[in-house]
Amino acid sequence: MAAEFKTAQPVEYYKQFLKEEVRPDGRELGEIRSTILNVGSISTAHGSALVKLGNTTVVCGIKGEFASPTVEEPKKGYLVPNVDLPPLCSAQFKPGPPSIQAQVTSQLVADTLLSSNLLNYEDLCIKEGNMVWVLYCDMMCLDYDGNIIDACLIALLAALRNVRLPVVTIDEDTGLAELSSTEDRSLNIVNQFAATTFSVFDDSILLVDPTVEEEDLATGLMTVIVTQDGRLCNIHKPGGTPLSTDQIQDCIGRAQTRAKEICSLIDDTLDSIER
Amino acid sequence: MAGLELLSDEGFRLDGRRPSELRKIRLRLGVFDQADGSAYIEQGNTKALATVYGPHEVLGGKGKPLHDKVIINCQYSMATFSTNERKNRPQGDRKSTEMSLHLQRTFEATIQTHLYPRSQIDIFVQILQADGGNYCACVNAATLAIINAGIPMKDYVCACSSGYVNNTPLTDVSYLEESQGGPVVTVAMLPKSEQIALFKMDNRLHVDHLEQVLEVASKGCKDMYAVMNAAVKEHVSRMAKSMECS
Repeated sequence: MAAEFKTAQPVEYYKQFLKEEVRPDGRELGEIRSTILNVGSISTAHGSALVKLGNTTVVCGIKGEFASPTVEEPKKGYLVPNVDLPPLCSAQFKPGPPSIQAQVTSQLVADTLLSSNLLNYEDLCIKEGNMVWVLYCDMMCLDYDGNIIDACLIALLAALRNVRLPVVTIDEDTGLAELSSTEDRSLNIVNQFAATTFSVFDDSILLVDPTVEEEDLATGLMTVIVTQDGRLCNIHKPGGTPLSTDQIQDCIGRAQTRAKEICSLIDDTLDSIER
Repeated sequence: MAGLELLSDEGFRLDGRRPSELRKIRLRLGVFDQADGSAYIEQGNTKALATVYGPHEVLGGKGKPLHDKVIINCQYSMATFSTNERKNRPQGDRKSTEMSLHLQRTFEATIQTHLYPRSQIDIFVQILQADGGNYCACVNAATLAIINAGIPMKDYVCACSSGYVNNTPLTDVSYLEESQGGPVVTVAMLPKSEQIALFKMDNRLHVDHLEQVLEVASKGCKDMYAVMNAAVKEHVSRMAKSMECS
């Protein structure tokens, strides 16, 4: 009976639950699904991480390549993030070119990387004006159950901290780069960040970490990205229900707590493996 | 062979296996919630993921519904970070398209297509890490995903590759072994009836040796079947137990 009611009148179905301050999956309104992190499982990548946020699963693999730096910034390497939502992860995505949602998420991740001072890009320099590392960060969703941005950023950060780049020396005579097979180094991550997504239900109720059903029913979505030390990095609110300043302040507060949790989760996971 | 001794004098391979030994297999059914069926398989360092959607109504302008059988749509894709050199395109290049087509043919031969006329089944396979035997891992993962989705098949399809080095056939070749330029035979087989659904060969191999190599590959398929069948049985009994509890 419940299943038919849910299909026929999803909004009413949710309202019945939310009246009791609980969500259909048993969570409280402000509760985040359990987050599971696995690091370094893909050995062909320079760094990798797999995140499960409830049922949402994202894998991030990072591969480094050589590239020429730009003329304006001859010492700086760069990161190229890409979010992929393949048809494999949900029936709502069709085969073909990247969907709008995937492109928007990629762009959001790129903007966040740019504004967050995540790492010192001069670390990626091999030879000034000649050769730098470019890190391709490919995030792929394997199971889509809402809140892809949070999951992608956790995977990205964990994978970046897992990166091991071989030490490169440039042969003076030939000018060719040589990779050391024994020595490698990790990246120096200066500024970590994490995202928290909120969905607005029925123009009034704020839900944290929405599932795919809650995203579909939402009248508005908002993602707040803050750094580990609590500074605001990015807010993404693509239209939808207008929110008051107080509500946004509240969301930022909750995002700050969440960012600390995420960073300590990543620390713990990296500590638990030996590399 | 180019400098590398694929088979030592003592008869061991580069990774320490015997010629007829499969790599370590780890597999799981029902890994994801969104898909109708899903499975994950690790064969050595090759990691593949398969999800199945359907049978559902025919969507998109690509294919017309067939009045007598189901359309099987396969997509093979390799993660950009799955190989040593970064791949620019996860799918859509010639190799992936060929692989998608091979998978489609393999499963058209095995799924009971006549049961779902005017519908479509989508099989998506994703290679997360490639270390040789990609096709085999995909077929095995897709078989498990189809079983997980509850779609009737004539039999399991199990795939295994084999190579031929120093007059010795090798089972389940790794990337290092298959990239040395020796012959590689890939077989997808219905283990009970011993029928071959797909047979593919790269490089030259003398006809006299073919039987021997084929024998080894089909033995590999049967070994694979034993492992997969055990996993399916375990999965089903776990499901039954959890249903009893609730």
